Amino acid sequence: MFKKEIIVQTLAETAEAASEFANVIKKGSVITLTGNLGAGKTYFVKALCKKYNILNVSSPSFAIVNTYSGKEIVHHFDFYRIISVNELYDIGFEEYISDEEAVVFIEWAELFEEIIPKKRFQINIDFINDYKRKINIEERK
Amino acid sequence: MIVLGIESSCDETSVSIINEEKILANLISSQDFHVNYGGVVPELSSRAHLQMVIPLLRKALSESNLTLKEIDIISATAGPGLIGALLVGLTFGKGLAYSLKKEFVPVNHIEGHIYSGFLMEEKPEFPYLCLVVSGGHTLLLLVKDFTTIYKLGSTIDDAAGEAFDKVSKMIGLGYPGGPKIQSEAERGNKNAIKFPIAQLKGKYDFSFSGVKTSVLRYLQQNYSDISNIPEDDIPDIAASFQYAVIKALSGKVEKAMKSNEIKSLSLVGGVAANRALRNSFEQLAKKYSNKLVIPDLQFCGDNAAMIAYRGCSLYKSGRRFQLSANAYPSLSQETFAKLVIPPAKRNK
Repeated sequence: MFKKEIIVQTLAETAEAASEFANVIKKGSVITLTGNLGAGKTYFVKALCKKYNILNVSSPSFAIVNTYSGKEIVHHFDFYRIISVNELYDIGFEEYISDEEAVVFIEWAELFEEIIPKKRFQINIDFINDYKRKINIEERK
Repeated sequence: MIVLGIESSCDETSVSIINEEKILANLISSQDFHVNYGGVVPELSSRAHLQMVIPLLRKALSESNLTLKEIDIISATAGPGLIGALLVGLTFGKGLAYSLKKEFVPVNHIEGHIYSGFLMEEKPEFPYLCLVVSGGHTLLLLVKDFTTIYKLGSTIDDAAGEAFDKVSKMIGLGYPGGPKIQSEAERGNKNAIKFPIAQLKGKYDFSFSGVKTSVLRYLQQNYSDISNIPEDDIPDIAASFQYAVIKALSGKVEKAMKSNEIKSLSLVGGVAANRALRNSFEQLAKKYSNKLVIPDLQFCGDNAAMIAYRGCSLYKSGRRFQLSANAYPSLSQETFAKLVIPPAKRNK
């Protein structure tokens, strides 16, 4: 079971951590990201996707889900503005999440814990201070 | 030429009928379809699009005094957006086109916004600089004609509208954030708090994640309970935040105006409804003696009139499409022509 805790102080260090983590995941992996507004969840996904040659990652808060394709196909979710779990069922969340050909990232996943698969990588990003972040990655089964 | 437009890419269902540039009907679900949502933001749902599209079409036909047979072209948004939502409007449009034996034109939602200035009496003149600002997108574009759009820059993280929504939620104003921040900001001092704006490597790129975080930092440092900020402090926070966003947007726009030969300036998308942003664009247009086109409020947010107009302009440019056109979730890199030859420098 993969487990890692990293302290980062710059965007470059976050990017490095994300890029290293890219080697741990594969097609079919689900990765949830939690952390306060501005913690760097989207940035982590953006940095990781560079490894897949995907350069157009941006926040899916409004769109709910962005799909990118490069070396891998990536579904990038954000539950931030979801009001009810029905909305997720309605937009076909179950199809996205069971897509074995894609890597799925979910920001603010904790808002709808009930719909998230148990088997996943859970990333938590905590502010320590303005510049320091603690990134905790844990594989769950 | 009578064109039907159907839009269902995200929250809004919209149906419009236009005759060339004349708008006969432009119906938008949140305003024209009286569903009792109990005062809350309706749920995002493909089912809601499905329930609304036919009644909206019937109403649009009756407002236009037309029958289905009199429609020449049917256009619908094909992307980007939520696949489930897009498919409702797109499939409905394709089905209608097939059964009525009409031309079908799939439309890119962002292109719909880009050309939405043409729905106004005073139209943009090519080439024009266009800022698309909405909940999901922030794009700075150079529009050469009806077929060529150069992308100058875009957001590297959050869209401008998203920053409004998130800050609005942070200071307890709720969703959607744009109109709420605007009305608080009008009572506040925009110089009260300095929220920083990111300096980016990309000349015309934007970033709004930093300003969002700095508002959160400010709240955490100044209030023991950030879920309970004194009402009197809200206007200054809203005004200072709004000022920071507008400064970032208009700063990049001005930079682009200085180095590109343009005839007009256009501000489009949901955030184009913001009065302070509109004012800032008016000043820019005046300073560089460019014509300014900002669509009326009904054409700023997601609407089908812009889809119908774009469908019409594509058709007139000679583009023909198959009924096999599919929905697509993302704005592809290929949507915009790469800026290969830098446009001529302005002699100023």
